[in-house]
Amino acid sequence: MKLAILTLALLSPLASAAQCTIDNQYMQASYQVTQKQGAAQVTDTQQFTLWRTPSQAAQQDQQLVELWQQLSNKQLRPIRYFPQAERGIEYQPSEVKGQQNFSSKQQLVSDELLAQMTLQSEHGEGCDKIQKYTLKQADTTIEVSWAVNKKLLESMHITKPVGSQTITLQSVSFDKQKVQQQFTNWDNFQTTDYADIGDNESDPFLAKMINLGFIEHSATGFYDANGKTLSGGHSHH
Amino acid sequence: MAANMKKLNLLSLAVVVALAGCSDDDDNDYKTLVVNNTLPVGSEQCVNGGNEKLEGEDSNRNGELDSDEVLETTVTCNDPATSLTPQQLVNLSTNQWFKDAKVKVAENQDNIAEIIKESGKAKNVILFVGDGMGVSTVTAARILAGQLEGKMGEEHELSFDTMPFSGFAKTYNVDAQTPDSAGTMTAMISGVKTDVGVIGVDEDIEYGDCSTVAGNELVTATELAEINGLATGIVSTARITHATPAATFAKSANRNWEDVSDMPEDAVTGGCEDIASQLVNFEANLEARFDGLDVDGLEVVMGGGRRHFLPKDAAFNSADAVSAVEGDRTDERNLITEWQAKYPTGQYVMDQAGFNNLDTETATQVFALFNESHMQYEADRGNDIAGEPSLSEMTAKAIDMLDNNDKGFFLTVESGRIDHAHHAGNAYNALNDTIELSKAVQVAMDKTSIEDTLIIVTADHSHVFTIAGYPKRGNPILGKVVAVGSEEPSLAADGMPYTTVGYANGLGFRDLGDETDADAAYFEGPAAGRYDLTSVDTTSAGFHQEATVPLGSETHAGEDVGVYAIGPGAHLVTGTNEQSYLFHVMDYAADLVKNADAKLAN
Repeated sequence: MKLAILTLALLSPLASAAQCTIDNQYMQASYQVTQKQGAAQVTDTQQFTLWRTPSQAAQQDQQLVELWQQLSNKQLRPIRYFPQAERGIEYQPSEVKGQQNFSSKQQLVSDELLAQMTLQSEHGEGCDKIQKYTLKQADTTIEVSWAVNKKLLESMHITKPVGSQTITLQSVSFDKQKVQQQFTNWDNFQTTDYADIGDNESDPFLAKMINLGFIEHSATGFYDANGKTLSGGHSHH
Repeated sequence: MAANMKKLNLLSLAVVVALAGCSDDDDNDYKTLVVNNTLPVGSEQCVNGGNEKLEGEDSNRNGELDSDEVLETTVTCNDPATSLTPQQLVNLSTNQWFKDAKVKVAENQDNIAEIIKESGKAKNVILFVGDGMGVSTVTAARILAGQLEGKMGEEHELSFDTMPFSGFAKTYNVDAQTPDSAGTMTAMISGVKTDVGVIGVDEDIEYGDCSTVAGNELVTATELAEINGLATGIVSTARITHATPAATFAKSANRNWEDVSDMPEDAVTGGCEDIASQLVNFEANLEARFDGLDVDGLEVVMGGGRRHFLPKDAAFNSADAVSAVEGDRTDERNLITEWQAKYPTGQYVMDQAGFNNLDTETATQVFALFNESHMQYEADRGNDIAGEPSLSEMTAKAIDMLDNNDKGFFLTVESGRIDHAHHAGNAYNALNDTIELSKAVQVAMDKTSIEDTLIIVTADHSHVFTIAGYPKRGNPILGKVVAVGSEEPSLAADGMPYTTVGYANGLGFRDLGDETDADAAYFEGPAAGRYDLTSVDTTSAGFHQEATVPLGSETHAGEDVGVYAIGPGAHLVTGTNEQSYLFHVMDYAADLVKNADAKLAN
């Protein structure tokens, strides 16, 4: 046993050249989502930015920021920020089964989904090491390009008979200070428990929430272990 | 003529008397006959029975008075009966409903007689407020409580159902037909109806305008009790800075000014104090309002809402913080340590373990903040990270502490999350929290005496929650409607089953299985209208009832709420009154104003 540890220790300086020293816990990544539907292949393109810290992940588009905080008991707490109004709505930590996967919030593709997929190829080293995965389930095919040492989704292509969706990385930054500042900015918005909205008809912003319920998020990007888009506020019953 | 010769059917009852004899040789001389018939009770001629006398001549000489021989009829009716015989009453007197109600009348006469009606005889006053606990909520909770005990349910009694006096309160705010908790609790605790959304100030206030607060502040029953030297306490399952508990101690132009970060800059610079700060400064603020007054502050404060007392700095996070940064205060004040500095012998508590360790005989003051925001729903308490007590447990501890004061105590207890469960469209939690309130009231009834403690139970407002359809007796109150004589759910015109309880508006249908946090429903948009519930367990914790009008949050309702009372002065809780009336009942019972005037005059 001692010998084995010594061997690893001796090897480590050589190995470090291929390792990635980026602190991937703090990240800002911009994505483009392209959806094609029907025989005419009608195309819809949207942009969103993924932000993450070790305990928070946020998906930002032009109107809405959907943020998830991982609590000490591993529950996930969602907050929706409305930057134009500089207000936020805090939701209760989710105890609903199927919405507890923090890796899907931080990476867009969960560790569980990656584990289910088949590794097709691998190239590059260190931070540039890319793994190509595929998964075919029923009539759905998922292809993922995964920067494994950055824990970063480079692209995901989902193909179904009715259409396809492609998520493509546009840019990425691992500027810890900038990421922390962004989360601080959102945290400084005035927030309200959703549970209190019903008692606040006299507040114009909250009254709007009573009547609208919630504002539809424009982008998608969170997937469960089966490659399905998580409901996460994006869909109605 | 033969057809008219019909004989009377009552001959067996008749007494036939020959009144006059006639000579045989005179063909026109007939015997005069008289027939007396007894008329039974309920007869057409006499509802109470009587006698019918028929007189005539036996023209056909058959010895009987035929109907066409009657010349005169005299009816004599009996006087109305003044009592029924035991035999006549047997169908009633053996009926259990009849017997139970008769016993209840006697019990109520005794209970009413026991109530002390003289003013100033209540040493202690406890005001329970079920936030959003409208009449339909009380009824449904009663049924659920009974069914949880294995009964059919409808016949069950919640603790406050047994109180000898009850009435109704009109809940509207001065400027709103359907009210909110701020205006309604201000009315109950200060005796003055006011606007929606404002705390402890009268209707001359301008909502959200700090500059209009000065001069419009009201005095609350809690403050009067404090002036009178009584022990004072506030207990709530909501944030302790939330509208209902806040109305007992704060004055604010906006119910949402719970901490300084919630206030606009001009309100802060204008000198308005946030609600959390007013709680910690309760003693100093009250003394500042009345020259020469010296009080000792609130003895018991228990609830949620830690976020409003802590600086916005993760370094101050509690063990069960829900947010990355628990505190919201942007003025760097830590009101918990400020409170501890003011009350060095007092105890700050934040979890179940600390609560359990409280020694009610030696504790001088307790400041308990069990949650960052609202405390958990009763059915969801098991999911709290650090653990928190139930409403009945808090009520018991509060009374055990407050009754150490020989002068008496004034306690308000709010079940704050009935309202939130309804807003989320989740009857399961609304009813279970109502049942927990009933337990808390029972605790209070058990720990106090009818002779010296006035207990009032009421709601601040109702919700658009209905009990509908024609379910059979004993049908699960959270279940689908199953009609009398049927075992299968009734189907609506759309061919789908429907639930007994439902909402007129709100988020509508959710099937979240065993989810015990009603607020989990909020993450998705409204889903109003009908859904196929055939294979849905509507009695589960995570089921959210269907709603008609789609809204992001179910709303309050505007009908009257019930008021229930026991103890000195409880007899005044009768009829339909303005909500502000309740302050005056408490004042009558405990002489709050009179004693405070006397105290301040000295």
